[in-house]
Amino acid sequence: MKRPYLTAAMLAAAATAAGAAMAQPAPTGWQAGAVLDLTAASRALALGQRDKGLRLGHSDLTVFGPMGPHLEAQGTAALHSHERKVEAEVEEAWVQTRTLPAGLQLRAGRFASQIGYLNEQHPHADDFVERPLLYRAFLGGHWNDDGVRLNWVAPTPFYLRLGAEAFRGKRLVDEAAAERPLGAAVFSARLGGDLNASHSWQAGLSLLRNRREAAVHEEGGEAGGEGAGHDHGHGHSHAHGAAFSGRRMWVGEVAWKWAPEGNNSRQQVRIAYERAQVRGLNRFAVRGDKHVADYLSVVWRFAPAWEVGGRIDALSVRIPHDDHFHSGKLREASVMLAYKPTHAQTLRVQATRQRNRAGFDTAGNALQLQYILSFGAHAAHSF
Amino acid sequence: MQPIRSRPPWRAALLAGALALAAGGAQALSVFTCEPEWAALVRELAPHAQVHSATHARQDPHHIEARPSLIAALRRADLAVCTGASLEAGWLPMLQQRSGNAKVQNGAPGMLYAADHVSLIDPKPPGTPFDGDVHTEGNPHVHLDPRRILDVARALGEQLQVVDAPRRDLYRQRLAAFEVGWRERIAQWERRAAPLRGSRVAAQHTTYAYLFRWLGIEQVADLEPKPGMPPSPGHLQRVLELTRANPPRAVVVSSYQDANPAQWLAQQLGRVPVLQMPATVTEEPPAASLPALFDHLIERLLAAR
Repeated sequence: MKRPYLTAAMLAAAATAAGAAMAQPAPTGWQAGAVLDLTAASRALALGQRDKGLRLGHSDLTVFGPMGPHLEAQGTAALHSHERKVEAEVEEAWVQTRTLPAGLQLRAGRFASQIGYLNEQHPHADDFVERPLLYRAFLGGHWNDDGVRLNWVAPTPFYLRLGAEAFRGKRLVDEAAAERPLGAAVFSARLGGDLNASHSWQAGLSLLRNRREAAVHEEGGEAGGEGAGHDHGHGHSHAHGAAFSGRRMWVGEVAWKWAPEGNNSRQQVRIAYERAQVRGLNRFAVRGDKHVADYLSVVWRFAPAWEVGGRIDALSVRIPHDDHFHSGKLREASVMLAYKPTHAQTLRVQATRQRNRAGFDTAGNALQLQYILSFGAHAAHSF
Repeated sequence: MQPIRSRPPWRAALLAGALALAAGGAQALSVFTCEPEWAALVRELAPHAQVHSATHARQDPHHIEARPSLIAALRRADLAVCTGASLEAGWLPMLQQRSGNAKVQNGAPGMLYAADHVSLIDPKPPGTPFDGDVHTEGNPHVHLDPRRILDVARALGEQLQVVDAPRRDLYRQRLAAFEVGWRERIAQWERRAAPLRGSRVAAQHTTYAYLFRWLGIEQVADLEPKPGMPPSPGHLQRVLELTRANPPRAVVVSSYQDANPAQWLAQQLGRVPVLQMPATVTEEPPAASLPALFDHLIERLLAAR
């Protein structure tokens, strides 16, 4: 029980030292930063990633900077508590080109896939304590893996990015029926622009081709996560590895933001909607078997430093069980209030209500309190 | 013409399109600037350039999102001009990374940071996360000192000659003319603003620190409890107690800031005017160019009585 606090304190101390040492002016040099995420929850949610009680959330130590004129690199070590143990892992370790011609970019190493709207973003930048059900069910919350990426940005007046990624896939489907060297590929397109000074938007479509079929066990067929089968949703899923997977997943995303005359420091509205559909669940699946998830989130910054938001999530899955499937349906609604006095701190309180329609017996209601503290430099956030 | 005509028509069209693209690319120099003051400076030295400013005077340059439209604009840029000194740390690195444009990466000739070419005031030791948004390099709002504008203009002139070599002579001439005209203006502004020397103001944030220092104005209080933090009632009360005995000439806020805290303070002090001024070049008059901005700021400060 004491370990999370101790580790958090050590992380904080190390990060302060690192931040102090590295925050010196170095516009072209390396920078380091750390994020501490502490959460207190009244209970764990079905498919949730936060345990009951005071826990270390997704905390990390990041270094980033250039490697010569042509490359840049980033390394991120992450810590979080999971079932009363603190787990550490290398979350990101990649190099990326800076000087390829014609808007091309190549990245290699371990990194978060650019599938969907949120996956590439660091969880500490999220507007809610838990990621949407879509991510928790289909992508293990935040899917990063070992692979390569090729992106192209078009020289157009609006934003257009096409991308292809190839991954090992071991961190998406931990235990596969058959091992393959190239387990997963993601193809994605993203468009975006401004409607006028106050409104901006982004839309994207991604396709995940997953060649790692989740191993089906004799008893209570497991779908990569844990606690599948009749008592699915027992406890919560691993931080990595999808709870429900299939051969093909489509994700569509739309994000829209409004700020009066583009001045978001005083007021802003952010709306995001995503929908994902998974097909080809396993060798026993028939045409109609699919997983579907979607969510709609709305956040309003109503005063400098203050934000309020709500999100509704829906998940409908086919839970593998030997050679057949059981139906699983879960609904979730969350409201949150956040106080962000500076760039470095966030204090958030969130209430979440889950409704089990089938197969998720551990669904419940939770009150969560989250505190995020950033030390030193940290990578800029995306739209 | 014969060989082209003998090919299928779509090939000719493609070739024509490619030629038009290449020609278009060679003609217009595309410049991306993080803030409007640098867009205005680019227009002084390169009037033919296509200039896109990522932000405008009604936005807080500390709080900008790496919007898709900005990535697209940076993708097409031949030159990017930003302030640096961590002012854009929350968004520019993301734009550079996502743009896939080799010309505007740090260290490339097409990426110019103004703060690298001037001396910065008030460097701070690195603080803890509880100290607010501290810029260790120093105050980044360098564009409000016209003498530093001159330093940046020289660096920009040189960089324009590097990234657009065919127009080297034009940039040299424009820079020389700008320098002469700008020095005259500085002398005029200093004469005009002489009565301001020694006066005291309260202000929200350190946006105008360079302007105040240049004109000999003392900022006796900051409405922000910590850099980047919005004014809190407790802190405003402290500022009031600090300034009540000897009220400042004015309470100064930027046009992108909420004027309410300043108005409260001014009311409590009694007969102290609130000056909500643009912090940079605006799209509409009266501050639609760099000279007009300094004219306007000095007139506003002189008028506050």
